[in-house]
Amino acid sequence: MHELGITQNVLSIVLKEAAKARASRVTKVSLKVGEWSTVEPDCLRFYFGILAKGTLAEGAEVAVEQVPVAYACENCGHEYIPLVSVFACPRCSSHKGKLITGRELFVDSIEVENADSSSAKSSGSE
Amino acid sequence: MQIPVVQKVLAANDLLASEMRAEFEKFGLFVVNIMGSPGAGKTSLIEQTLSRAGDLKIGVVEGDLATSLDAERIAKHGVPVVQINTGGACHLDASMVRKALDRIDVTSLDVLIIENVGNLVCPVSFDLGETARVVVCSIPEGDDKVLKYPAIFSSASVVVLNKIDISPYVSFDLVKFEESVANIGRRLIKISCSSGDGLENWMKWLRTRQV
Ligand SMILES: [Zn+2]
Repeated sequence: MHELGITQNVLSIVLKEAAKARASRVTKVSLKVGEWSTVEPDCLRFYFGILAKGTLAEGAEVAVEQVPVAYACENCGHEYIPLVSVFACPRCSSHKGKLITGRELFVDSIEVENADSSSAKSSGSE
Repeated sequence: MQIPVVQKVLAANDLLASEMRAEFEKFGLFVVNIMGSPGAGKTSLIEQTLSRAGDLKIGVVEGDLATSLDAERIAKHGVPVVQINTGGACHLDASMVRKALDRIDVTSLDVLIIENVGNLVCPVSFDLGETARVVVCSIPEGDDKVLKYPAIFSSASVVVLNKIDISPYVSFDLVKFEESVANIGRRLIKISCSSGDGLENWMKWLRTRQV
């Protein structure tokens, strides 16, 4: 299983972005993971929980948006979601479908607290 | 505060792979990434390829967890071969291949074969800069592999079905398998590395290098 290495990459992207934003804490990490990216979201969350300990991202929520596999037909241009039993284009029956989504694996966004704004917020709510 | 990031998790791998691909293209090297389960016959296919290579100059990069058994088999054919030990990793990545290239002169080759680690899942995500991916599977594995692992089969140009000589002794629905490969829009080459059946079709594909 390669999720450990992948999660290390995720964490390093998150921490780099958090540092750029001068964040004091990362509260949420949003990922886009294709159905065919071969990454198991639960496995990734599990490793993230362990690897993020002692970093700004400790305890951050890991939100995974799964992106379904979609094909575009090279014959007629139709875009469709293939079924396991039928990959052919439902419009023209061509097998010249190219994968257009479903293999993505990226950090979409993060949510952070800044030292200044979080203290301002807490003093404001009191 | 939300910060948009939109950064590929495997950006470093993908960048390195595309740099390597550009380099390979420069001197017309055809790079084949051979994937498949342990025991499917990846190394046997490479050995059969080497003994039929004729004047086709082939080099091999062997990925394995820990041993160099496969590389030793390949080396007997007198071709340049480099062993990569992944130390337990389930796939090869671009940086491993890059390192291996320091130990093999690819400029004199027509074809570089990379034998990936035996696995039908993890290698999918890692671009190695290859020109073509090939999945090798075999009769004893069962006829449902394409349905169960569509990601790897769809990422390949060619599916090689090995050990067809033992199909009379194993319950394997060849028609079902052929249909599933056709359904995913991939070319099927049926071979037996022990009887030699079908290997001329494989060699034809390798010689024409039509992806
Ligand atoms: Zn169509």
